[in-house]
Amino acid sequence: MSFEYHEPTSLAEAVALGARFGDDGQFLAGGTDLIIQMHRGKLRPRHVVSLHRVSGLDAIDANGAVHVGALVTHRALERFPAFRGPLRALVEGAEVVGGHQVRNVGTVGGNIVNASPAADVVPVLLTLDASVTCLSPGGERTLRLEDFLIGSGRTARRPDELLTGVRFAGLAPQSATAFLKAGRRRAMEISVVCVAGRLTLDASGERCLEARIALGAVAPRTLRAHEAERFLEHRALTAETLREAAELAVAACQPISDVRASARYRRLLVETLVPRVLARCVERVREQAS
Amino acid sequence: MSKLALTLTINGERHEILTEPHRTLLDVLRADLGLTGTKENCLEAECGVCTVLLDGAAVNACILLAAQCQGRAVLTIEGLARHGDLHPLQRAFIDHGAVQCGYCIPGMILSAQAYLQEHPSPTEDDVRAALAGNLCRCTGYQKIAEAVLAVARDRSARR
Repeated sequence: MSFEYHEPTSLAEAVALGARFGDDGQFLAGGTDLIIQMHRGKLRPRHVVSLHRVSGLDAIDANGAVHVGALVTHRALERFPAFRGPLRALVEGAEVVGGHQVRNVGTVGGNIVNASPAADVVPVLLTLDASVTCLSPGGERTLRLEDFLIGSGRTARRPDELLTGVRFAGLAPQSATAFLKAGRRRAMEISVVCVAGRLTLDASGERCLEARIALGAVAPRTLRAHEAERFLEHRALTAETLREAAELAVAACQPISDVRASARYRRLLVETLVPRVLARCVERVREQAS
Repeated sequence: MSKLALTLTINGERHEILTEPHRTLLDVLRADLGLTGTKENCLEAECGVCTVLLDGAAVNACILLAAQCQGRAVLTIEGLARHGDLHPLQRAFIDHGAVQCGYCIPGMILSAQAYLQEHPSPTEDDVRAALAGNLCRCTGYQKIAEAVLAVARDRSARR
């Protein structure tokens, strides 16, 4: 592991360095994925551009639309007061990432760019219809997170681009989110399957107006279960409806068998976790209303 | 490969360090400064034996470049005892028989220290969750949790 180390102090300088090095360079945020990949020899950048002196990327702004800077740590996400209500799934996703040591350092931007299909915060962001902002010397572009994620470890980020943050609209009234993760133990576990959900209900709290379901570790990239979402919209949310939605979500999966679980087991988990996540959303909307 | 000149405050003492950019905080602590209380094992942030506090927050020194610590304060297990007196966590780990082979203990104690600073009255489940990033291969978790809880209780009693 040998490289040249750069410590830009402004965003403009960081982006200029990133563009200069292209595929020979890597941006370093928390390093909780990058340094491990470099130790393993999977990545051998000739230039590492550390972002820790670049200011302005580590803030969360939740006045109206929510903006989460790329350098916001999982710890900061976990503790952000405005995420304790209907956006609680963000906390639930962040707090199961690694141990405290990793959450203190690992960033939301890094988690997105790393594009692990088992990432825990990414499915939650997908249910929030989040978009990401990428900056290059040529300017800024905004992409839907769903389009940004291409495959396992692959994103639409160009080598000259830096992901600067993720943004999503505030939730409509009568909305709630939930996140559940299945692993062999409660902590320090890469998800066998994880499921995030968001529901917006009508004023009576019985019928679904809008549904979002995202699934982790069941395909090369984190997936939205579009058909299940469409099925739920404008329906009364009975146990039977949730079960049918779960079957549609299972149909969207392309899981693999690996050391953590078989493909069949992963499908069973999706079938079980999707109704559980949705029921939790319904419960939360009703709690908030009461 | 050019070297970086870093200034790190380690256990309250300023250190000027000249090192290559690829070296981790763990490399510098163990090899350059001889602070071998911070252990080396998985090198992938899975086991927590390399846990140190960086500006008070628990981090895995094995995947943190020394360069990322420039200008910051690092606390290792060697810096916890004051004037030859063991820190209450160190004392409690001994008193409760929480130390078996000992390899995970520096990391356990530093994770517990960071956690108790922010959560003075934890439950046993809280303590176990707080130490989830530190593996004990002897599986001596019960006595470790008891030792941490005892320190928290003792501190609340004094308040």
